[in-house]
Amino acid sequence: MSTRLLSASAPFILTVLVFLALAIALFIGLGQPPLQTLAALVQFAVGDSYSLSQTLAKTGPILLCALAAAVPGRLGLISVGAEGQLHAGAIAGTAIVLLAPTWPAPVLLPLMLLCAAAGGALYGYVPGLLRARLDVNETIVTLLMNYVSVLLVAALVFGPWRDPASQGWPATMQFPPAAVLPALPGSRIHLGLLLGVIAALALHVYFNHSRWADKVRILAGNRKVGETFGLSFGFWVIVLMSVGGALAGLAGISEVSAIQGRLQQSISLGYGLTGFLVSWLSRHQPLIILPVSLCVGGLVAGSDALQMFAKVPAASAVILQGLLFAAALAVPGLLARWRNAS
Amino acid sequence: MSTELIAILASWGIATLRSATPLIFATLGETLVQRVGIINLGTEGEMLLGACVGFAVGVATGNPWLGLTAGALAGATLSLLHAGLVLGAGANQIGSGLAVWMIALGATSYVGRTLVGQQVTPLPALGTDWTDGIPIIGEVLSQMTLAAPLALLAVIFAAWWLNQTRPGLHWKAVGESALVAAENGIRPTRVRVTAIMVGGLLAGFGGAILSVDYTQTWAQEMTKGRGLVAVGLVIVARWKPALVLPVCLLFGLTEVATLRLQSAGFELSPHLLGTAPYLVVLAVLVASHIFARRASAMPADLKAVFQ
Amino acid sequence: MPDSLVQFEGVTRRFGDLVAVDNASLDIRAGEVLAILGENGAGKSTLMKMLYGLYPASAGEILIHDAPDKINGPADAMRAGIGMVFQHFSLLPALSVRDNLLLSWPRTPFWKSRRNTDTADVLATLAELAPHIDPDCPVGSLSVGEQQLVELCKVLNIDARLVILDEPTSVLTPDEAERLHGFIKQLAGRGVAVALITHKLADVEACADRIVVMRRGRVVDIAERGARSITETVALMMGQSVERKLQRPPVLEKIVPRLVLENLSARRPEMALQNVSLSIAAGEIVGVAGVAGNGQALLAEVVAGVEPLTGGDVLLDGVSIARHNPYDAVATPLGYIPEQPRDNGVVGTMTLARNLALRELAQGNRPPVTGRDLLFRFNVNPPDPMKTAGTLSGGNIQKLVSARELGGQRQAVLACYPTMGLDLAAIEMVYAAMFAQAAAGAAVLWISEDLDDLLAGCHRIAVMREGQLVALLDNSSTLTREVVGAHMIGLTETEAAA
Repeated sequence: MSTRLLSASAPFILTVLVFLALAIALFIGLGQPPLQTLAALVQFAVGDSYSLSQTLAKTGPILLCALAAAVPGRLGLISVGAEGQLHAGAIAGTAIVLLAPTWPAPVLLPLMLLCAAAGGALYGYVPGLLRARLDVNETIVTLLMNYVSVLLVAALVFGPWRDPASQGWPATMQFPPAAVLPALPGSRIHLGLLLGVIAALALHVYFNHSRWADKVRILAGNRKVGETFGLSFGFWVIVLMSVGGALAGLAGISEVSAIQGRLQQSISLGYGLTGFLVSWLSRHQPLIILPVSLCVGGLVAGSDALQMFAKVPAASAVILQGLLFAAALAVPGLLARWRNAS
Repeated sequence: MSTELIAILASWGIATLRSATPLIFATLGETLVQRVGIINLGTEGEMLLGACVGFAVGVATGNPWLGLTAGALAGATLSLLHAGLVLGAGANQIGSGLAVWMIALGATSYVGRTLVGQQVTPLPALGTDWTDGIPIIGEVLSQMTLAAPLALLAVIFAAWWLNQTRPGLHWKAVGESALVAAENGIRPTRVRVTAIMVGGLLAGFGGAILSVDYTQTWAQEMTKGRGLVAVGLVIVARWKPALVLPVCLLFGLTEVATLRLQSAGFELSPHLLGTAPYLVVLAVLVASHIFARRASAMPADLKAVFQ
Repeated sequence: MPDSLVQFEGVTRRFGDLVAVDNASLDIRAGEVLAILGENGAGKSTLMKMLYGLYPASAGEILIHDAPDKINGPADAMRAGIGMVFQHFSLLPALSVRDNLLLSWPRTPFWKSRRNTDTADVLATLAELAPHIDPDCPVGSLSVGEQQLVELCKVLNIDARLVILDEPTSVLTPDEAERLHGFIKQLAGRGVAVALITHKLADVEACADRIVVMRRGRVVDIAERGARSITETVALMMGQSVERKLQRPPVLEKIVPRLVLENLSARRPEMALQNVSLSIAAGEIVGVAGVAGNGQALLAEVVAGVEPLTGGDVLLDGVSIARHNPYDAVATPLGYIPEQPRDNGVVGTMTLARNLALRELAQGNRPPVTGRDLLFRFNVNPPDPMKTAGTLSGGNIQKLVSARELGGQRQAVLACYPTMGLDLAAIEMVYAAMFAQAAAGAAVLWISEDLDDLLAGCHRIAVMREGQLVALLDNSSTLTREVVGAHMIGLTETEAAA
């Protein structure tokens, strides 16, 4: 039993070790003392309550974006569109706030979240529809659409939505208090994180323990067999892409409402791609995505802080994620190869 | 009157060609990679690294040609990571491409910090003193560098390679079915590694053209998805090198049109105009799926990856 | 030993736990036709693929005369003068005939321009063997028989000393098979050694000089032509004397149409189905015969509602069950055994229990609890409901799908090659289950390559050619293989008789 457990967890442990080795090599390459830097990274990720709150603030959008990739991923789709869906959600959610800034919070907040989800869903629906009806590859479409909605946000905050009072800074007006997501007092932990956790748990139940769980599993395992028994691949592509988009849309409005307080450029620190990485590492399983987004959130927050206090460049966060991705891709295959050879 | 018209057309044509040139190299490289049955989303990263390294070497040496060479080599080196992950470790091709992209994104934004605002020696214009006198042609040559003609040559060479040579035939065979190719005595892995490296070389070269020749500046994430556009355009070009030229020119034309509309004082947000090239690529991608049967042109081994 | 070209000495090949070839020793001589006879899965193909360098031997040695180098891959084998014609050809359908031939030709020049005279030689064999084939058309547009000729040309182009043919007649009409037999003898006459892998006694009788019989990975007999009687050879092949006893189905008392195909049309890139009409009565068994690749697969998927149709309809008891557009899937009410069930019939990542309950799970219903009984009844090995379907062997996947589709009573059954890869006992069991469905009133549509089985078990036999039903024959005692075969290749009955 213990050997089976060991062999099952071997790829995971080895991936972590390979990643640590690569990270150490990176720090040496950057001219930093590797072990101290690594220790500082952990310290800045979870060392005190402030660091922890920073980490959790990053975990929220990463979690939602990871789910946005995982939901279509359950069907075998590779959607890398969370970044664009996040921005689309931010636009849609902001629109309603700008339209009705005086509405009371009990009306405005749910409406804002709903609009953001709808905006994200629409941004997932389009590549879903193209895939379902015309067999256009969803990976390429989502990747290209990312650039469009990021530019749309810029166009809006430089143009019609710019707040005249902001003195040239391209941003909308400050959100009224009624449109700010509630947060834990004194921290940046807000409702978005809670929404992500609830979504992850709900998706876990849906995909593993519900009556309908096997529908997606059959189609993902063998599309033709699924269609023989009456499951429409196209229908599920559209549904799952839209649901994924809605989750990323929630991430977008959460950042705008709770963190930035207004819509402006650079509301995302590449959360879309980071979320994709998390989903991939977790094999699209919502329950595994929860802890993994926390770890990667710590990595992002930690290297963010490192940049301020040590001389480690901000870019190292992205490099580290790339190396983690490469390690996760390489280790299982090499391990299998090595096992076959021996 | 008519000479005026020709002059305008020539000026648009050159601008389009110049804007499309980096993309032609990258798309051509991706076409070759996909013809052997591999998809490489890392093209974006390879272009970015090529742009960064090419610019850095160009600035350091003062020689743009050295910069272009270095950019190409950087792209080829990075593509080895994709080859290793996909062929060595059997990793998912899309995942591997994204990993390559992420690493290049981080690495170039680190290396590129010091390059922002630097000046690079541009490639010399093709015009000489005695061509300057010739109407229109002299004008055209004075605005062109060797980059665009090189791109045209590369397209011709790639088409010749695939359709007229024995190794090219082997490449096509591997893309149709690595299994059958192996039964015919071809070593698919060797062919695929070579093609991926050639793809990386071309992507890196295209990236270096972008920074050293076209914009003559370095900016973080300056490829702005051109490498991903290339992956989409390969489908539109139906995996044929010759068709790479028109589809890339379409992208270039869109970009030139948006730039000129802005400088003409057109009252539209530059960011909104900036979405046009992506929307055009998406539109032709969708159109190509509506009007052309994809299955017939796609290398058969790619279908498993592309599902 | 005279002219021994290749010698296998105690060769073994394992795939994981499976021993595909077990301690095999034999030799192949120049100028002879060596038949390697055995049932599906006896290890014949594996043995020859090892010689061709596709798999290394786990133990033992393969010695090749005059070829000192070890064979590490097909390229080495070709250099040693060994060519192989695969069962599923090693041709690339998207490339032209010429390019396919140039692919493995040792003298292909670096610059192979279209009109280059250097490459004219590569077409010489083709011109001799099949002058009617246009070298510039894509291989995918050729018929299966023509593709086999191209494949043969490829092998002959490398000046092979030894030609391995893997089940070459399985895709040919009787007429084409006969021509191939003649050609094989001609090759041997030129001094080329031919290794003919087959499970058909007809091939052996037509052209073999020596016969190697394999069973379950072992070489069980090597004999000269004529040294064994047919019954002896069959007994060696099968290992047990099971006689196939298909009973002719009872004559129907009244004809009540149950499964009706009305003017079916459908299109796929490589195949079109045109105006197929057929009415199958309750209790009736209709067989579909035809050379592989003449639209049987498409017909099955249209009737099962997997592939959308472009015209006509499929009615079960008067209700349409076809898929009319590509966007909405329909659940098939038929008991449907698809061809290649590993790809088309099971979800490899799910357990046997879930695979047996796919109908219910796809509707979002709780699965029934009859799983284990069905696995035992259909002799699925291992009968462990929690095992993952993808780990089963091909034969057991076939049995698993039969268990799901024939385990309960159906209104109609559609079976495509339902006995593919099964041993004789399992074949009996599947046939029994299928005929029981008919006896209980189901309409049965049965697609098969085995004319003898169709003739033994059907009420009527429909013949498919090029996507159309070209004949619908009452299976009376006067109907013979030859008549059905003539329809398969498009001869009229008088031509066939001549």
